[in-house]
Amino acid sequence: MPTPRQIQVTVNGRRYESTVEPRLTLADYLRHEISLPGTHVGCEHGVCGACTVLWNGRAVRSCIMLAVQADGSEITTVEGLATDGALNPIQQAFLEEHGLQCGFCTPGFLMTVTEMLEHNPNPSDEEIYDYLGGQICRCTGYQSILAAVRSAIQKKASA
Amino acid sequence: MRIPNKIEDLPTSTNRFIGKEVERVEDRQLLTGRTEFIDNVSLPGMLHCAILRSPNAHARIVSIDTAAAEAMPGVVAIVTGKDALELTLPMQTVPEGWGTHCLATDRVRYVGEPVVAVAATSRYVAEDALEEIVVEYDPLPPVVDTEKAAESAPIYDEHESNVVFQRTFTWGEVDAAFASADHVLTEKFRWHRLGANPLECNGVVSEWDPADGTVTARGSFQSQVNMGLLSAGALQVPSNKMRIISQPHGGSFGGKGGPRGTIITALLSRKAGGRPVKWIEDRMEYLAGGAGQSWDRYYEVSLALQKDGTISGLRVKLLDDLGASAEGFGAVSAAKPLAAFTGPYKIPVAEYDLTLVATNKLPQSPYRGMGPPPHNWVLEQMVDLAANHLDLDPGEIRRRNFIPKDAFPYTIPSGNDYDSGDYEAALDAVLEMGDYASLRAEQEEARKQGRYLGIGLVNTIEPGVFDWNAYAIVGSQQTGVPEGATVGIDIMGKIVAKVGFSLEGQGQYTVISQVLADYFGVEMSDVRVVPQDSLSAPPHFGPGGSRLGVAITGAVLGAADILREKLIRVGANLMQTQPETLELGDGMIRIPGVAEAQIPVAQVAATMLARSDLLPEGMDPNPEATYVWTAPGRTPADEQGRAKSYLTAANACHLVLVEVDRDTAEVKILKYFIADDCGTRLNPATCEGMTQGGVAQGVGAALLEEYVYDDDGQLLTSTFMDYLMPTIYEVPMTDKKALVTPSPFTPLGAKGMGEGALHTTPAAVMCAINDALRPLAVKAHEVPASPKRLWALLNP
Repeated sequence: MPTPRQIQVTVNGRRYESTVEPRLTLADYLRHEISLPGTHVGCEHGVCGACTVLWNGRAVRSCIMLAVQADGSEITTVEGLATDGALNPIQQAFLEEHGLQCGFCTPGFLMTVTEMLEHNPNPSDEEIYDYLGGQICRCTGYQSILAAVRSAIQKKASA
Repeated sequence: MRIPNKIEDLPTSTNRFIGKEVERVEDRQLLTGRTEFIDNVSLPGMLHCAILRSPNAHARIVSIDTAAAEAMPGVVAIVTGKDALELTLPMQTVPEGWGTHCLATDRVRYVGEPVVAVAATSRYVAEDALEEIVVEYDPLPPVVDTEKAAESAPIYDEHESNVVFQRTFTWGEVDAAFASADHVLTEKFRWHRLGANPLECNGVVSEWDPADGTVTARGSFQSQVNMGLLSAGALQVPSNKMRIISQPHGGSFGGKGGPRGTIITALLSRKAGGRPVKWIEDRMEYLAGGAGQSWDRYYEVSLALQKDGTISGLRVKLLDDLGASAEGFGAVSAAKPLAAFTGPYKIPVAEYDLTLVATNKLPQSPYRGMGPPPHNWVLEQMVDLAANHLDLDPGEIRRRNFIPKDAFPYTIPSGNDYDSGDYEAALDAVLEMGDYASLRAEQEEARKQGRYLGIGLVNTIEPGVFDWNAYAIVGSQQTGVPEGATVGIDIMGKIVAKVGFSLEGQGQYTVISQVLADYFGVEMSDVRVVPQDSLSAPPHFGPGGSRLGVAITGAVLGAADILREKLIRVGANLMQTQPETLELGDGMIRIPGVAEAQIPVAQVAATMLARSDLLPEGMDPNPEATYVWTAPGRTPADEQGRAKSYLTAANACHLVLVEVDRDTAEVKILKYFIADDCGTRLNPATCEGMTQGGVAQGVGAALLEEYVYDDDGQLLTSTFMDYLMPTIYEVPMTDKKALVTPSPFTPLGAKGMGEGALHTTPAAVMCAINDALRPLAVKAHEVPASPKRLWALLNP
């Protein structure tokens, strides 16, 4: 068994120091070691996108990344989006447009959309599809998610 | 008991919530990552389970050596088939006698079958331990070819063959109808295995209390009561000592009912001295060994057709490959089409020749809609073939065969009644939405350019409000499916509804909040829905079979009505009048027509709890009531399986335009129009979401999703890289129109809905593909119509 390593990670603005096995996935670290279970695990092989978090601002799949790889980095999870329970514009848009049903894939969609709008506040439909094409939702059929993304773009533009 | 059949009959003069597109009460927690899915549950002392699964499709187990694993630090308990034999009964199956124990006892019958389970201090350690377990197998020839299964050596020693079920059901003078037909059309079809694949796989945490023999299981369970009965039966625990707690779950689509995980973790907990044991199924476990495979079907279908386009008889011969056991209710799925066998058509006679076989593949499990998606495809494809044969437009032949709107309730040959509908209206609506004539013109124009566009135009029935009696032919004994709710008002006037199911994604807590807010004249935020465990909740089933929206509306309205009567009795005492002079309306107990003569419901409820001196003599002071709703007028099945089963018949008409690329055989969906009628819409946005979600799964079924086994019974599609889930690129954004033909028989006139689009989309897409291929004289009669499969058709 390889020796556990010390890591320092800033998650949602809070600093954590932990000792972890090198094989521990980032998803398991977030969910089970520092009690942020909003990041969900849907396939554990990097296809479905449910576990997407922001790693230094980039959307990554936390199920195929190791916690030790996040050493020294800044992570944002779905728990970092709302402020004191007040939904941010993207979450609010998903709420209003019924952009979720069971909600299991939703954190991954929210993080991906967050990254997209950080880089490109006014994406074309083609660009939206490009981002969302890597996220699987089994419930909605994507139409309400697309509507939510378009609404979020408007909300952020007028904020 | 008075349960309103119309929204207008609710005790509110300004309907504020029900029937409106309101925000879902479930969503704020989901959007902030705070919903308690099963893998969030962590109990003191909890262990983690990993399962060693069979690498062989068929083999005898010669020996199992767990010594090295037992010696590993962190490993606390290991169970094998020996424990299962000693401590459990085989899992229940339908039909009876075609199942196994939760862990393989003497032989394995499919790749992925659980053989050994380990509980350890972490999932990582438990998986390490699996590596140290040595199982010696003696391989047996696997039965993989469905069509040869009946003649192959039986995979169960106690059965003479692999035929699980064989019977022909005849409804009416079928031979005569075919003998007198102007034309008889017969075709074969093949539908490959696919399945539910919710984004969250199965999961459970079980605790076996060694002191009193009670078992508590929390999990992503679709039906608490079913999970309780199935697992208690196998564990030989009295049903009232089995406590089931359903956590919110990340989708189900039918596949969260099997008790295997609960049984295995309960056994591990027992062996670990009562420590809780958690098992979270991973995706590869789910794909190979979970509840995710359904409908592995070979069809031969015949239509008796008259010159004028009238369909006078239907014969369906089905061979369905259940896989290695009948534990997953695959047989039930083959029986489900009885609830709407002849679709929206007035076909007078029909026959169903049903053969179910066992093979060395994963046992089938339910998937959204149960059996109808493949059945509807073959029926609708036959109707298109009939139209082609007579040179009729596909819309016209359907119009000539529709059950007319004044013929309801209408009894179909397989025995069920349809409650109401207007099928021609739905057809007309999509033809107008899609401007059908222009689509045909576009197709014509494209063909001149060597492009292959096709139009699919199909109609289906969605049987809603499932009933066990629909499955009598495969051994189901019950008639009726109770669903209960308790509704109470607290001393501060806030409302609590207690129910027996958890969140699954369909928004039922929102519907409950809408109904009760309108009923008692409060805000939706004044209503809280609180799930109860299986021993605390009123009798319940939970979601399934397009049922819960109707059933839970009936339950909460029934409870609200009983509560209304109590409030009126107390109100009468307070207002010194007779109860008969009072009504509940707009949140008040009041004398109709007399302004000022009213007391807020909250005040009356508070009186019940805090002013016993003001109550009528002998009055029950509890401002709470329970009602258990079950569908009225259901009948046990006769010996041909005919029953009044599903209470409602929603209907839909889909119109789709596709293009088949002649060179790559890729199918693109260009336009998609839907008119659907599920009676009163309790929350239109939710209905629309259910429909669109069903379209996505239907597109997956028609074009992408398929479990592939090789000749050795090895699963070749064991990840999401191989089992293709539809993404935003494949799923069309659809134009939808809602038609409303209320049900005369249900609470608020709502019909069961939620499965309908998956009943319809595969048929619509396949009919469109075949319409595109018509000039090339090939038929795509195999689903999914993947590029590889279509390319082979186009390049023989």
